[in-house]
Order: sequence, then C-alpha cells, then structure tokens
Amino acid sequence: MSKAILTDITKCIGCLKCVSACKEVNGLQFDIPRKWQKEDGLSARNWTSIIQKPDKHFIRKQCRHCLEPACVTACPVGALHKTELGAVIYDSDKCLGCRYCMMVCPYGIPRYDWDEPVPYIRKCILCYDRIKDGRQPACTEICPEKATIFGERDELIMLARQRISENPGKYIDKIWGEHEIGGTSVLYLSDIDLGFLAYQENMGTMPLPQTTSPAMKAVLPAFVGMGGVMLGLNWIIRRRMELGKKQDEQEDTPNE
Amino acid sequence: MNRVQNIKLVLWLITGFAAAVGLLRFIFGLGVTTNLNDMTPWGFWISFDVMAGVALAAGGFVMTAIFYIMKREEFHPLVKPAVLTAFLGYLAVIFGLLFDLGLPWNIWHMIIYWNPHSPLFEVGWCVMLYTAVLLLEFSPVPLEKFSRYAKIRNFLMKFRFPFVLLGIMLSTLHQSSLGSLFLIMPFKLHPLWYSRIIPIQFFISAIALGIMMVALESSVTHWMYRRKPEVNLVAKLGKAAVWVLTLYFVVKMTDIIVSGKLGMIFNGTRESYLFIAELLISVIIPILIFVTPQLRFRPGWQMFGSFMVVFGMVFNRINVGGLTMLSVTGDSYVPSWTEISISVGVVSTAALVFLYVVEKFNIWEKPPENPEESPYAEASFDYSSRVWLGAPRIASLTKYSLAFILSFALGIAIMPQGRLLGKGVEDVTVRKARGNDTLYIDGNHDGYGVTFKHKMHIDSLGGNASCVRCHHMSMPLDKNSGCWECHRKMYSASDAFNHDWHASPNGADIRCRKCHTENKNREISTAKTCTQCHNEMASDSAALVDSKYMAMSYTDAMHMLCVSCHHDKAAENPEKVALAECSTCHETAPPEHLHDLLKWYDKQPSFNRVILPKLKEKEGAI
Repeated sequence: MSKAILTDITKCIGCLKCVSACKEVNGLQFDIPRKWQKEDGLSARNWTSIIQKPDKHFIRKQCRHCLEPACVTACPVGALHKTELGAVIYDSDKCLGCRYCMMVCPYGIPRYDWDEPVPYIRKCILCYDRIKDGRQPACTEICPEKATIFGERDELIMLARQRISENPGKYIDKIWGEHEIGGTSVLYLSDIDLGFLAYQENMGTMPLPQTTSPAMKAVLPAFVGMGGVMLGLNWIIRRRMELGKKQDEQEDTPNE
Repeated sequence: MNRVQNIKLVLWLITGFAAAVGLLRFIFGLGVTTNLNDMTPWGFWISFDVMAGVALAAGGFVMTAIFYIMKREEFHPLVKPAVLTAFLGYLAVIFGLLFDLGLPWNIWHMIIYWNPHSPLFEVGWCVMLYTAVLLLEFSPVPLEKFSRYAKIRNFLMKFRFPFVLLGIMLSTLHQSSLGSLFLIMPFKLHPLWYSRIIPIQFFISAIALGIMMVALESSVTHWMYRRKPEVNLVAKLGKAAVWVLTLYFVVKMTDIIVSGKLGMIFNGTRESYLFIAELLISVIIPILIFVTPQLRFRPGWQMFGSFMVVFGMVFNRINVGGLTMLSVTGDSYVPSWTEISISVGVVSTAALVFLYVVEKFNIWEKPPENPEESPYAEASFDYSSRVWLGAPRIASLTKYSLAFILSFALGIAIMPQGRLLGKGVEDVTVRKARGNDTLYIDGNHDGYGVTFKHKMHIDSLGGNASCVRCHHMSMPLDKNSGCWECHRKMYSASDAFNHDWHASPNGADIRCRKCHTENKNREISTAKTCTQCHNEMASDSAALVDSKYMAMSYTDAMHMLCVSCHHDKAAENPEKVALAECSTCHETAPPEHLHDLLKWYDKQPSFNRVILPKLKEKEGAI
C-alpha cells in the first residue's frame, strides 16, 4: 500500500508549476530570501524546489520520504511519523524544537521557521491529507509533462525499469531511491548523476536507524551491568578492608 | 578578599549582558539573533552548553564513585563540591537548552510522548532523572542548616548509597548516549570523529573530564578565596586522570587504526589539524604534565594541566557537535556574539550560584571567610565618587546590582536594531522570487515587498516590442528574467555576470580554467567575454557592457526607467499628480534629508551612479 513519487529528470522542463502548486495547496507564503536559507531553494516556505544543472537539466528537490527514515527514529517525542501510505508527516503539537531531525537527515531536507518566535519544522508531507482521500499530491497533479508522477511504489519501480529498458542509452541504469539507505518513497530516473542531492554520493543500502539500534539495545545491559560492577567492586573493597582490619588486629594482639 | 568581589562583579556583568540578549532571543526568534541556519541547525549552544556541559558535570558521578563505591576516604573534601558542581552543571544544561529549543515550553513533552528508539529521548530521560537524583544527593547539605527538616535529612542520608549507585548508572547511560546521538550521521560527521564506538569514547573522556574538572574547580576556588590549595589530592586526581586519558587515547587510536583512517590525520585538511590540536590539548600535554613528578605537585601546573583537559574535551565536543560537519554541509557557520554571550552568561550564572552556596553552606570542611558577612566591618569610601558606600555587604550588593543593570542596558543597546527589525533580510542582495511569475522584491530591506505585475509593464513599456527590455539575455530559465538578474545590488553597480553561479557545482559547474584561459591572474581582464560562449544568444539590446560585466544598481535602474515615465504621465494628466510621488511605489516615503538629493538625481541622466552611500552595502563584486 506504500505510495511513491517517480520524477523523471529527462522530462522536466523546469516550469516550476509543482513549486507554485505546493505553495498554494499548503498555504505557504511568499519566500523572502533570508540569511539562513540554503542555496538549493528549499525553505520553511518552499517545500519543493527546482535545482538547475547545465544542459537544461532541472532536478526537483523534495523530502524523500525514506522507507526507514532517520528523522522518525531520531525525534525524541515522536513528532515525525511514517504513515502506511508512505508519507513522513509531522505533528507540530508534540514538537519541542530540538532540530535533531534536521541534523540526521542525510538529504538535508527539514527546514525551520527561523524567523518565528514560535517556530516549527517544515518539510514536504506528500500532501498527506490529499493522498488519504485517494487523490494525488498537488505537484504530481499539476505537472504538464508528467515528469513527476504518483502511484504505488512497486508499480513505479516497474515502470522505471521499463523506461530504462525501452530507451537504451537515455538513462543511467539506476533508480535513485530504490535501495539507497533502505529505499525511499521518492524515486528519480535521470541521465545525470544525482548524488549531489545527498550529503554523500554513495550512501550504501543500510537504513540509517540501524546505525543507532545496537547502541540503543546496549542501553539496558549497560545500565544493569554498571550497577552490578559498582556493587561488586564495592563489596570486594569492603571485604578487603574488613580482612585488613582483622589482620591488623591479629598482628596487633601478639605484640600486646 | 578583593579578589572574590572582583570576580563576582565580572560574573554579574556577564550575567546582565546575557540576560538582555536572552530576552531579545525570545522576542525576535532564533533566526535573527543567532547564526544558526538550515545547514547548521545545531550550533555552539548544543556543542558547548549541552554536550560539553553534561560532560563537565561528570565530576559528580566520578567523585561519588571514588568515595562511596571505592571507599577512598581521603577524597572526602572534594565530594561535596563535586556533587554541587554536577547539580548546578545539570541545571545549567537544562537552562541553557531552553534558549536553544525552538519551543522551550514543550521541553516536558518527553515525559508523555515516547520514542524509545531515539538516542535523544534516552539522553533526555537520563538527564531528567539524574538531575533529580543529584537534588536528593545534595539536599542534605542545605537542610542541615534548618533543624526542623532534620527528619527529612536523616531519611535522605539513609538512602545515600542507593542514590549514588543510581546516579552512576544513569550517568553511564547518558554520557555515552550523547555520543550515540551522532551514530546516525555517518555521512555528515567527519570520519576521524565518526566511530561505531563513539559512545564508549564519550564515556571514557567524560570520566577524565569529570576528574579534571573537580581538580580545576578546587584549584580555582582555593586561589580565589586565598586558601591553602589541596595539592596532594589534586596530584592524586592528576595521576588517576593520566590512566583514564591513556585508556582514552589507546581506544581512540586503536579504533582509527583498525578502521584504516590513520592517513587522514596527516592529510593536511582542516579537520586533520583540528584532530591533532584536539589530541595534543586534551590528552598528550596533560599526560606529560601529570606524569612529571616535579610538575604534578605545583599548584600552577595543576591548574594549567587540568584546564588543558577541560578545554580539550570541550573542544572535542564542539568538533563532534558540528565544527567538523561544515566541510560536508558547505556552510560557514561561526557562532554569533549573541550565542557566545548567552553560553558564557549561563556559565557565569551557575558560577555565581556556586559561590553563593559555598559561602552559605558547609561545602568545605572549613568555610571561607567572607568579609561581606562580618557585622563589624567598616563602611567603605569610594574615592572616585566621594561617597560612603555603607557596610561592605551593602556596598557589594549595590555594586553587583549596578553591574547587572548597566550591562543589561548595554546588551539591549548594542543589539543591531536594523537586523532584528529587518527579520534577517538585511544584507541580502536582490534575488529572483521563487515559485511564481509575480516577483517579490524586498526593496527597502525592511520586510515589505513590491509586487511586480507583468502585464502592466508590457503595456507601459510598449507592447510586444518591449519584450527584450526584460527578456534579453537568454540566460537559463530566461522566460521570466527580471530586473534583478542584472541589477542585483540595491545601491551599487553590480556584476551582471553571475560568477558564483557559473562556478558552483550546483550551478553551471564550469572549471575556472575554461574562462580564465591564461594561467596568470584570474581576473576580468584575462577572462573570456560573455559572447565567446553565448555567441548566438546575446542580443544588441542587452543591458550589459561586455567589457565590464557591470549593470546599474537596482535603485538606479528603477528610478531611471520607471520614475521618468511616472513624471511624464503626471505632467500629462493633472489628476494623476500622485504618480510622481515617492510614496506611490514605496511603502514609506524617503527620509526628508534625501528629498533635495533625489530631485537633483532625477535630472541627471548618467550610468552607474550610486546614492545612499551611508548604507553599508559593499561595492559590486568587481
């Protein structure tokens, strides 16, 4: 039942209609350039953006909605949540503003309302309210070139494979997001390398939550173990001191 | 005894200043008062206040372990100060965190909303529980002053051992879990610091840091109150720290060698120098100091050695907490003075509370002599103002409150008002509006924008023939290029050729040598001209002088192109006089002192003239 978006870089003409549709549907305000924004165009008021590359390449950047998201694992209060439909959504009522999700995201997606006295985390939520009703996200609905499409993740992967095999030489033989860090719900087909979308080009296929889980599993053993070690140490030292005292007494008696 | 008072005075000054800055942070939000940004969401506050702060407070659990668990009775004089430092340290961490959190009033949410998979959740819970345990561990000290609470005190004293044990167990968890926070960032944290055993490294270094913090605090406070320093105890602590530091060094280097990162230490990048400096300061120099018997027993060297460990380990936390991520994220974060002053302010507030508690309660076996308390002390006379200041106690209170108020006022006064009220838009060059055909230009740098209506401009500029006036350069995405594409700067002539975009990997990604073909000096004179690459594209009407790459400033362009037409229309039609007035376009009219200048300006047709030089806009890129 996991939904996904497939974006075909070769079809995108860079008309930015997805960007304005996103703003309209999510009620986002005009974006005033601020000193805390990143050059990629995403911001608290821009949940998707188009990155220009040479030779008429336009790459749409948005939340990747990882299958096993680092941000969901990281959030101490569970304000971020991966739904069954595939969207990673945000509950602003729980959030305490620690920004750990922004730190852990390998794609650098979550953005912050830096200018508000009451700030929240902002990012693409895959138009969760719309896909819940069986509609598709605003960006895929408006795309005039069908460059970015919405559907079941498995079907989109099949479709992507089909496009690669039907057009030999047109695409790089790779579906971005199929396996990297455990797979994402936003997939890309491209004729140029899209490694720049993440902080590191080859991130491997291990989901990021697995990096912390050994440490988290060790928490309880470490807690009990440290208690045990300390109690044992204390017992040994006391015992030694008692024995030492007795020895002193025994050594003392013959002298007296 | 003047030394204590002077130090307190400085601490009060810092606290007052930080209080003002902290107030402004809550009024105006994080964006304008800090240098935090979307690439560096965790800055100096998390690294220093939280990560280093928790580690600095490790002395509490280390000293109680040495005293209660290992039964080393000789350390008794250091236990109470260590527990007090830990307790105040954790309170300072929580207090400092309130400034960093976006929604600090939700800090308690971790109690009701659980996410047990999150390392931060675990750290949060441990810190909460351990602070409570420290309160129970420490409260017998103030309670002994009040006889009516004797029952509670006795009750707490009975459970002292379980409290200590629980404190050690909780500390083990969160001191290490602060390292686990970074396990999930393998792509951001530099490989020299990223390690699968980073929790273990954090735990061991926290023990060393805790020991040395107790030593440093003992040395400093004894120097302050002119007491006889606890040389032998500190020397013993130094010896213990040598063992722990050696263990830390061995664990760290083994991990680096096993994972094959040894070469990275010497590859000459910024991170390699940071790593070498960190190891020298935090491990190697202190070990050398405390291994040498001649130095180990000298108070000055003790203070220096323990300071090196404290500084080095704080440096380590800053490196892990974000400094070594900057090369990956490509950000150039430097903590703003507001961030630093709040951090320093939190530390000095904690220090003031520490000094208060030390003077009021029995922390040391022999309480310090305090001249402020003596009822027989003479009133002091201030020679500069020729005023009797009253008894020393009153006099020092007056001085402290004056210091607080003055520095509070100073903090409010030197905060850049323009930056606060400009909501972070200050110093931003005019840019293309993202997302829509309608342009949004923040003309006055004050958060007010101008909406640019396309059709109206086509009509007024001459119909279809006027397209080239804006659509002239065939830049990528040229369809709706706007004035700002050439007139990027507000007040000075600017570089019409966007050099950084052409060179950046996110932009055209063109190598330097492609344009600067001669290898001598990389400047305009040796570079290719636009038409050499965009030969069929640049039309005659392009508002670009090829040899200079310069375009009029934004204000110049607006005033010369739009205002002249407005004047004509106003002259034609008496009903539309208002068209020629500044307030037609500007939300606020220009200040009066500029009216004459502007009148003169409107009559002078010339290129590249700059007005309003008072604003600190830098000259154009070239």
